[in-house]
Amino acid sequence: MSVKLLSELKAGEKGTIVRVEGKGGIHRRILDMGAVAGTAVEVRGVAPLGDPMEVSLKGYNLSLRKEEAAGIKVEVV
Amino acid sequence: MASVNVLNARDESLGHLKSMYGDDAETVIADARYGFISGLLKDVLKKPPIERRTASDKIDKVVVNRWLGIPLFLGIMYAAFQFVFACSPPLMDLLDGAFGWLGEQAGGVSPAWLGSLLADGIVGGVGSVLIFIPPIFLLFIAIAILEDCGYLARAAFVMDRAMHRVGLHGRSFIPMILGFGCNIPGIMACRTIENPRDRLTTILINPFMSCGARLPVFVLLAAAFFPARQGLVVFSLYIIGIIVAIVMALVFRRSLLKGPSGHFFMELPPYRMPTVQGVLVHMWERGRLFLIKAGTIIFGAVVVIWFLSSMPWGVEYASAGSWMGQIGQAIAPIFAPAGFGQWQVAVALVFGLLAKEVVVGAMGAVFAVEEGMLGGVIASQLGWSPLVAFSFMLFVLLYFPCVAAIGAVRGEAGWKWAGFSALYTTAIAWIVAVLVFQIGSLL
Repeated sequence: MSVKLLSELKAGEKGTIVRVEGKGGIHRRILDMGAVAGTAVEVRGVAPLGDPMEVSLKGYNLSLRKEEAAGIKVEVV
Repeated sequence: MASVNVLNARDESLGHLKSMYGDDAETVIADARYGFISGLLKDVLKKPPIERRTASDKIDKVVVNRWLGIPLFLGIMYAAFQFVFACSPPLMDLLDGAFGWLGEQAGGVSPAWLGSLLADGIVGGVGSVLIFIPPIFLLFIAIAILEDCGYLARAAFVMDRAMHRVGLHGRSFIPMILGFGCNIPGIMACRTIENPRDRLTTILINPFMSCGARLPVFVLLAAAFFPARQGLVVFSLYIIGIIVAIVMALVFRRSLLKGPSGHFFMELPPYRMPTVQGVLVHMWERGRLFLIKAGTIIFGAVVVIWFLSSMPWGVEYASAGSWMGQIGQAIAPIFAPAGFGQWQVAVALVFGLLAKEVVVGAMGAVFAVEEGMLGGVIASQLGWSPLVAFSFMLFVLLYFPCVAAIGAVRGEAGWKWAGFSALYTTAIAWIVAVLVFQIGSLL
């Protein structure tokens, strides 16, 4: 078990969100979309040009830039 | 005083939450909300054994694949354009015939000035814009199918990195694609971009996407002046439009619209089979806007241009003696450094404010020849070299998009930006045309 940033995870890696850092609108938006502490998350893949990435959580798929994913700490399973 | 109390109470509560939970209020509230939701779901929800997502995930493995993602994206865009350009010519011929017939009927109306207003002005002017209904609506159908099946979100996902590099957003991509059909829906589609700076930048560069109305001008002149390299010349104009758009995006994001770009944070919905009804509704929602524009702004502009071309009373339509001809003579010297300083050309460019394909019709009217002969007449009567023709095509590509597109900018961003858009595109067009002509003349 190790805590990593979501942006560091590779395709297929799974984990549980530990903490969402950040401020302002985007922080709020991330929380509103259900990415709160305790949520299981899996990285599905990365866009062909290397950014953004696609993750699945709560039964849906979400895309976000690595810049934003770097604010989400995940405990890797 | 009361407001100070409220703010104090807020700060006190925030401090209290922070000391209790060790987190800011937003996180605490979101945690509590999702805690409640997941507790409730445990009690009431039974999950189906097989989830719908799995099929969708398999499609995604291919569609956003590291190697296949971009070729597939280009292939899908190409297919959409093929669909539009293969299906629209017969429908456009049909409309063209209908407007031709209508114009003849209207031309017979007396008194003669009313006949001319109806035939030259309204049917000719509005008709030249309405002729673009088939390609525009077909493009909307193609986009609606891609949107409803879930691919458009993936297109934004695939393209975000490249768009982000030039200061735009993944969502800027669709408006730019739409712009190749018609800038009006392209500009309107910018609404989906949340960040105001990203949105405005995308709106301002959209007119450089070479819309369908410019094609007739390019085809005519390329055939007359570059018979051996028509395709290459037209293709190069599209590419130059894209390059100018990218350069201007970079300039805007570093000057007028400086500031951080929007975030990319959105759901990738599961793939679904589009329904006929859904596709038609989407097509109509966007296409309706184009029709309203044609019926209002263009209608008004058509009447003004007809009036200028018919005054003073009794003059031949759009001839040298008409007010329009005089305007042409007055502004023609502006275009001399770009190589096309003749008054007939200036008149055609003023007509082109309506819609760019009108440039062709206006030259036909000024020289009083059929479209088939027009290329040769331009070459012989104006004495243009291929270099002048190319500089003129560049100007047509880049200047003032059309009344309706500027109307769309006003609708999305207000009068100030509409005015700015009208002026800066024309300035860029002039600079590029002059540079190309002057440098080309030295070679």
